[in-house]
Amino acid sequence: MLYKLLGICLSIGLCSYSYAQETYSISGTVVDARTQAPISGANIVGASAYAISAIDGSFIVKKLQKGSHMFKVTYLGYAPKEMTIEVSKNISGILVELNETDMVLEEVELHGKTKNRQVMESPIVTIEASKEFMDSNRENSLMQTLDKIPGVSTINIGSGQSKPVIRGLGFNRVGVVQNGIKHEAQQWGSDHGLEIDQYGIDRIQIVKGPASLMYGSDAIAGVVDIKPSPVPEKDTLQGEVNLLAESNNDLLGISGGIYSLKDNWFYRGRLTYRDYGDYKVPTDKINYENYIFELYDNYLRNTAGREANASFSLGFISGKVKTETFISNVNAKNGFFANAHGLEVRTSSIDYDTSNRDIDLPFHNVNHFKLSNSTTISLDGHLLHFDVGFQNNYREEHSEPVPHGYMPKPPNSKEREFNKNTYTFNVKDDLKAIGGHAIETGLQIEFQDNGIGGWGFLIPAYKRFMAGVFVYDQYEIQPDFHLQAGLRYDYGYINTQAYYDWYPSTINNGDGSTSYVYLQRAQDKDLNFGNFSGSVGLSYIHKNTTYKLNLGKSFRMPLANELASDGVNYHMYRYEKGNLELDPEESYQIDVEIGHDAPLFNINMSPFVNYFNNFIYLNPTPNYYETLQIYEYTQSKVFRYGGEVQAGTRLFNRLKLEASAEYVHSEQVSGEKEGFTIPFSPPLSGLFSASYQFYKILFLQDPVFTANYRITAKQEEIVPPEEVTDGYQVLNVSLQTKINVLKNTAPLEVRFKLNNVFDTKYYNHTSFYRLIDVPEAGRNISISLTQTFY
Amino acid sequence: MKRFYKYLMLFLVPVVLFSCSSDDSADKDEEKPEITVKYNDGFPQACAELARGETYHFKAMVTDNMELASYSVDIHNNFDHHTHDDQGAQCELDPVKESVNPMIFMENHSIEGSLTSYEIDMEISIPEDVDVGDYHCQYSVTDQTGWQSRTSIDIKIVE
Repeated sequence: MLYKLLGICLSIGLCSYSYAQETYSISGTVVDARTQAPISGANIVGASAYAISAIDGSFIVKKLQKGSHMFKVTYLGYAPKEMTIEVSKNISGILVELNETDMVLEEVELHGKTKNRQVMESPIVTIEASKEFMDSNRENSLMQTLDKIPGVSTINIGSGQSKPVIRGLGFNRVGVVQNGIKHEAQQWGSDHGLEIDQYGIDRIQIVKGPASLMYGSDAIAGVVDIKPSPVPEKDTLQGEVNLLAESNNDLLGISGGIYSLKDNWFYRGRLTYRDYGDYKVPTDKINYENYIFELYDNYLRNTAGREANASFSLGFISGKVKTETFISNVNAKNGFFANAHGLEVRTSSIDYDTSNRDIDLPFHNVNHFKLSNSTTISLDGHLLHFDVGFQNNYREEHSEPVPHGYMPKPPNSKEREFNKNTYTFNVKDDLKAIGGHAIETGLQIEFQDNGIGGWGFLIPAYKRFMAGVFVYDQYEIQPDFHLQAGLRYDYGYINTQAYYDWYPSTINNGDGSTSYVYLQRAQDKDLNFGNFSGSVGLSYIHKNTTYKLNLGKSFRMPLANELASDGVNYHMYRYEKGNLELDPEESYQIDVEIGHDAPLFNINMSPFVNYFNNFIYLNPTPNYYETLQIYEYTQSKVFRYGGEVQAGTRLFNRLKLEASAEYVHSEQVSGEKEGFTIPFSPPLSGLFSASYQFYKILFLQDPVFTANYRITAKQEEIVPPEEVTDGYQVLNVSLQTKINVLKNTAPLEVRFKLNNVFDTKYYNHTSFYRLIDVPEAGRNISISLTQTFY
Repeated sequence: MKRFYKYLMLFLVPVVLFSCSSDDSADKDEEKPEITVKYNDGFPQACAELARGETYHFKAMVTDNMELASYSVDIHNNFDHHTHDDQGAQCELDPVKESVNPMIFMENHSIEGSLTSYEIDMEISIPEDVDVGDYHCQYSVTDQTGWQSRTSIDIKIVE
């Protein structure tokens, strides 16, 4: 490659003549050195000119004066390449081959392998979402952005919040990890979002399958692992400002980031603010349980919100050590649909319709503070990783105080308060041993303290301690044939605290007398758990095709609410009863993945079969407590299978076609709901997308037009109290382009997006508001502007 | 091109298999029970006025495709106009007020004998000393599977 470039330089140099005042252009293609696949989005930076490679890898740098020009070609995950070109005429056909790399050089030295190769060699089924994917698919919340990945769906709570679902399992069955630390919020709650700033994320790895081995309890169905951003390039100071406006919920968002590496020190900072109004749905009334709510001007009243996030990190990197300390705070206030928050139907004297931007009752306030450090030390064939973290998650839920049953009217609007502190310590050793073995051993410790407040009771206060040790060996049988096996043991301790009602209930005794009792809702209990998990798998790489087979066992410790709740859930208008006898959930899964990745065509299939020994589930019983239906946490055996298929091709170099489908079938094979599915089962769904790269339209550079068409089948697999959800088809289109606005810096990146083009009224089976028959958001136009500064 | 068809088949076969996956919904109970007071004996009807000190027979018809399980009756005040009922009639509500000694009635009973239809019939006395004003009477019923239906009726307690 070097010779080729050198050759180009020389030949250009030889035939250089001078034409004063004339400018020239150079053009070429950026490709991956290994696969020869085009790389789009690579930066080609010169002293006075700048270009970004298009979808087919092509680039053109214009208005170059005659003379020698130095260009640096960079792309995330690849080693930067410098080239010097003598320009004296228009030059085309420059081929730039980039080699994959990793920013932590020690890691590459140790493994001698690129990230991509590592993913191929690991039998675990994972998917990577790059910054490029994030930027071109960005939706209102992080998980909605990732929704396009087959096998990943979301539980949405209005327009600004969502939580991850992997192959039909969500809540505490999906672990979310950020910078090596497990993100601990109130993820068990159905109206709770993720509380992570989706800007400034460079790489996300999604594990679709049981991952307790590496991530511990909660990773029973999969993991969303938000990796730390790569270390900035040497002696850089870069900044980025992103502006976002949306029509449907009148959203205005701004996010600005800055990062720099000087000598051995680097830092990153980011501020994000978003403010949005009530979102609009394509209906003027909502019909729930025979109650009819008229909507004013299609606004889903009181779903406005705002979010303010700040993060900063400081790092040091040298030959042997890389350390980075992160500090971040996410603060949000979100309103909930006023007439039926959860399942209770209410009218109110609050005039919600005066403004679509105010946040009235009911609403919640969330603050998530995080302080963590990740350190990697390279030591005689060992690579030691340390992660230390502290998180505070504070959440207040406010709703109109109303009497219910024997509960008199509460004194204020603070229905619930959760204050959770989590301390994490992880240590891991990567050892490149002899004979083709790569052995990882690790210890993970977490302590959690959850306090409660407010007049409504749902989960008890608790303290929880968890510790796990694991060992994991990747054995290279042949360079293209790998065996992985690992074993882990976890110990868990949970202490739930007693809770008594703050008001007396009337009890009619058998002898005709009446007593007034402050009922006990949760007991003071100490519980211990222990569990083995493990995994064994094979991967085989043959040319462009990768075959994977993995068998894994994962577990999840029961949560405090599953163990010890005993009270009225006013939001859901039901009586919830925990069960102290619950065992840790155990899940066995077989995963297969076959992927073929050629320059012009790729296909990937990932079927799975899964069996839960004792799936914990909130079962609606036929019985009543007072006059509310009793829901009881029970365990049943669950059998699931499904998978994803994805195929893509490139036609005429400029047209990219992709199709994907995802499906999960779940069935309870024991217990009271035998034969039924499990709650929130996503329906069969397919996504077709086509994108076309134009050459140039007027002043628009590299415009890419993309259309996404989602077809989702009817979901008839339901379990009480769910409802059948009809199928739907939705079209989203977008146009991404660049405009040269400022001289001597990167062009302005513009993204214009039209979601739900036909304003289709449809229901998402896994949306929080589906329970009260609220359709998904209507047509939405959004404009996003990103300017990068050097 | 041959290669392309091979891949197309690889793609389509699992899709077809997935979509053909059978489900044995035949023996699964997927129907909610039903509940109504909209018949001659049904009580209370929307906007009914109940007098303090009197005793009434509260009657509602419940049905299910397989087996009824339990029902509950709940009488609570609507002094703050928190909800309107689902009976279709618009009753005239008194002005919003604070409660002093509101009537609270909550009872549940099971329905024995694997019935598919049943008439709820409860004798309820309105105490002499409770606040007069707007109330809700809410009936709920469950079937053995755990499906539930509810209905609410706007009523008034008067002198």
